Amino acid sequence: MNKLVSNSRTRVLLTCRTWFAHPQRGVLTAAPNTPKRRPASLNPPPPQRTESRRHRSGGAGMNVFDREMKRRQRKWAASLQGSQQFDYLRDEVMPSISPQVQGSPFLSFSRTFPLALDLGCGKSHIAQHLSKDVVERLVLADTSEDRLRSACEIPTQCVLADEEYLPFPENTFDLVLSSMSMHWINDLPGAFKQIQSVLKPDGVFIGAVVGGETLFELRCSLQLAETEREGGFSPHISPYTAVSDLGNLMGQAGFNMLTVDLDEIQVDYPSIFEVMTDLQGMGESNCAWNRKSVLHRDSMLAAAAIYQEMYGHPDGGVPATFHVLYMIGWKPHESQARPAKRGSATVSFSDLTQVGRTVTKETP
Amino acid sequence: MSGTNVWTRSREKLRRFPEILAQCPGEASAYGKCVTATTIGKQELQKDLCVKEFQALKACFLNAAKKAAK
Repeated sequence: MNKLVSNSRTRVLLTCRTWFAHPQRGVLTAAPNTPKRRPASLNPPPPQRTESRRHRSGGAGMNVFDREMKRRQRKWAASLQGSQQFDYLRDEVMPSISPQVQGSPFLSFSRTFPLALDLGCGKSHIAQHLSKDVVERLVLADTSEDRLRSACEIPTQCVLADEEYLPFPENTFDLVLSSMSMHWINDLPGAFKQIQSVLKPDGVFIGAVVGGETLFELRCSLQLAETEREGGFSPHISPYTAVSDLGNLMGQAGFNMLTVDLDEIQVDYPSIFEVMTDLQGMGESNCAWNRKSVLHRDSMLAAAAIYQEMYGHPDGGVPATFHVLYMIGWKPHESQARPAKRGSATVSFSDLTQVGRTVTKETP
Repeated sequence: MSGTNVWTRSREKLRRFPEILAQCPGEASAYGKCVTATTIGKQELQKDLCVKEFQALKACFLNAAKKAAK
């Protein structure tokens, strides 16, 4: 009998479906964009805990995630033996947002950033891949001190900070990076506004966040299994932001020249149990307030069978899809290109029909 | 918490779920097909709609677990 290794990854398929969205219309929406919610759960959500909040950024008081729990989960994940084996997803995402790696899909900067911030840096994979030509000084911020260990050639400063309450003054950083940590933020509009304020004018924010239809296979399998076994289901996957919502949020926060891109990463696992183990090891366990604290073994068994049947590959193994949203936003500055003023056009669209026609000169 | 406690013991048991489940592909497939049929058919998924298939799967699973524990 073959012993299945719990965290084996058989293959990773990278399929890029890229499209660019430029929501620069500056449309104000009435209510802040809320991430997609799961259907009604069995348990009503607990009342809002009021811990000591230094400052509320006014994002309608959204409280979806238990940040204290997330801190403990990250601490536990960092303390695991061999926690590097769970870093494959972050390593896959990191080259695309590092402003230096050759062949990065977006970035062709020839610019040096004197001061950069890495939000929710985790084990700061990015820091290890940056060189002094690109970033001169780096500040690492994370909620969990166990993850703030890194050794890289750039002088770094580690700050224990929550992404929702940045302790930095305005106009400090030239570059803010955030990789795979902003999907646990409660008040995303407020966080974007704070990032925009700590950036210097003509500073750039580059982020990668998990969103869209990530882990839909896991979500559907658990939903069907719990419905059949228990008569109802409760959300086990956190709500994610859609691509369009992300663009709107960044526009509202005051970013210019937005680029939002969606990348689909499919990772194959032997079964649902390895998916869940790896998510735990990455520190991505569920920490929403409305999570159920128990997943019954019967439901797990049922979900494993359903996952394999609905999504499994014919030769065994199941896929798990991660939709990674990459975003770039610039803080406004006079040097940036602006849309032209209305009525300043010198050429008409009807002139497009003239393109390609050979011009015949009339002989006098 | 050091040493073995109920959490470490149950986690150990859970770690062996995949290999035990691999012993019951037929029953798992039957149960999976029963449930996925509700996603495309008219029948809505209710509690215990596929209870027979699930009992078969669970029996096979428990047998395999007993054998593996020996």
